[in-house]
Amino acid sequence: MVGSGLRIFNAYPAFARKGEMFCCYPFEHEAIPAWLTFGGWLGGARHWHFAMMWVLVVNGLVYLTFIYLHGEWRDLVPRKGDIRDSWQMVKFYTFKRKDHPHQGKHNALQKTTYFLLPAFGALAVVTGIAIWKPVSLAPLTAVFGGYVWARYWHFIAMLAIVILSVAHVFMVFAVDPYSITSMITGNYDPSLSPEARNARPFYHLFPRRAIATRSSSTETT
Amino acid sequence: MSSDPRKFLSHNGMDRRDFLVQGSGLVSAALLAACDSRGPKSAGKLLKYAERKNLVVERKLFRHTSMDVVQAGAHDAGNKLPSYFIAPSVPVWDESARGKWALEVSGLVANPVRLTLEDLLKLPQVSNRVNHYCVEGWTAVETWTGVPFTELARLVRVDPQAQFVDFQSFDDDYHESWDIESAMHKQTVVAYGLDGKMLEPAHGAPARVYSPIKLGYKNTKYLTKIVFMPKMNGGYWSDQGYEWYGGT
Repeated sequence: MVGSGLRIFNAYPAFARKGEMFCCYPFEHEAIPAWLTFGGWLGGARHWHFAMMWVLVVNGLVYLTFIYLHGEWRDLVPRKGDIRDSWQMVKFYTFKRKDHPHQGKHNALQKTTYFLLPAFGALAVVTGIAIWKPVSLAPLTAVFGGYVWARYWHFIAMLAIVILSVAHVFMVFAVDPYSITSMITGNYDPSLSPEARNARPFYHLFPRRAIATRSSSTETT
Repeated sequence: MSSDPRKFLSHNGMDRRDFLVQGSGLVSAALLAACDSRGPKSAGKLLKYAERKNLVVERKLFRHTSMDVVQAGAHDAGNKLPSYFIAPSVPVWDESARGKWALEVSGLVANPVRLTLEDLLKLPQVSNRVNHYCVEGWTAVETWTGVPFTELARLVRVDPQAQFVDFQSFDDDYHESWDIESAMHKQTVVAYGLDGKMLEPAHGAPARVYSPIKLGYKNTKYLTKIVFMPKMNGGYWSDQGYEWYGGT
């Protein structure tokens, strides 16, 4: 979706209406590097985009239905103090704080990310519909400030999804590779949690003996 | 395979690691290979299938009552409206060689007509200030003046069998066929005026079809014929792989 979208964008890599300027995009008329694009040409990229959009929508609906039925949406909805706690995580990762803030299932920064990702996903879908059918669904397009702005928000949503996804995958490998097991099996070993390891990106990747024994001894007593 | 469950388990355990390593290798190789490519050829059928299904959805989304609205404060494109044609130079109707220009409206109709520009000017006139949606992603605000398509349809008395309309031109063999409901949309006009002036050759003179309900490439310029048809008839860009529907 991203690659074909960028190929479509490259047909007119700007947001301005003809005869106008656009305020809020610093790279007007600068094409996206071809190696980041997919589809080969405008028509081909459009076919991919309009076919795969259904996969994205179905995937999103299955995800939302699943976390709703399992009640796991409760782990993701923003709550009071999330921003404060996320800031504490940022401070910890930048060495301004010594001990890992409370991890739980997701730490505050993760929780914010996992809430924002589907939210931006939904924004991408709805703004996508708005620029797909700007006349037939004119009221929807108007919600986003008209076609030009809806196209802009579509781009921003894509950018947010890419940034959050890349950050997420990076952090999985740099901070908590053990979580890959729990993603697949559902099992979780608390002695390996980032909090137990006091893990920052590339710091304390391996469980420290002292902590590991301490947590296992507390379990046995 | 193996009847010993433990053997099966260990075998399976080995496989998972192999699966992850080889799988990630495969995925990255596929991603690298996919970069700036058209994607696997075998996907062509799937994409065609998706386009056919999308066409059904798009025709369902179409509403005669949904109108294009120009955003408050939007500026007219004026001379920033790109000029576009497929012939090597601006197509101009050569009266000395081809006689007086006239628009033929025919096909599945009770009363086919040939209308000169003077005839068109005598028909009911409308001016729409609307968006132009290009397939490339840009938009341009312009005022198009001409005959509402519905007036032409009334004039020729369209047969109910006609489900599609082909707009043909003298810009080489450029043409695009439409679904009839998009043609009958209130904002579809056979335009001979742009921004208060008569249409210039650069933008499709003497007359072109114009509607915000279709992407730019569907709006045939340099019109010669409007033919009502029982079946769709492709189009210059549609035949080259752009979506046939091209609706907004």
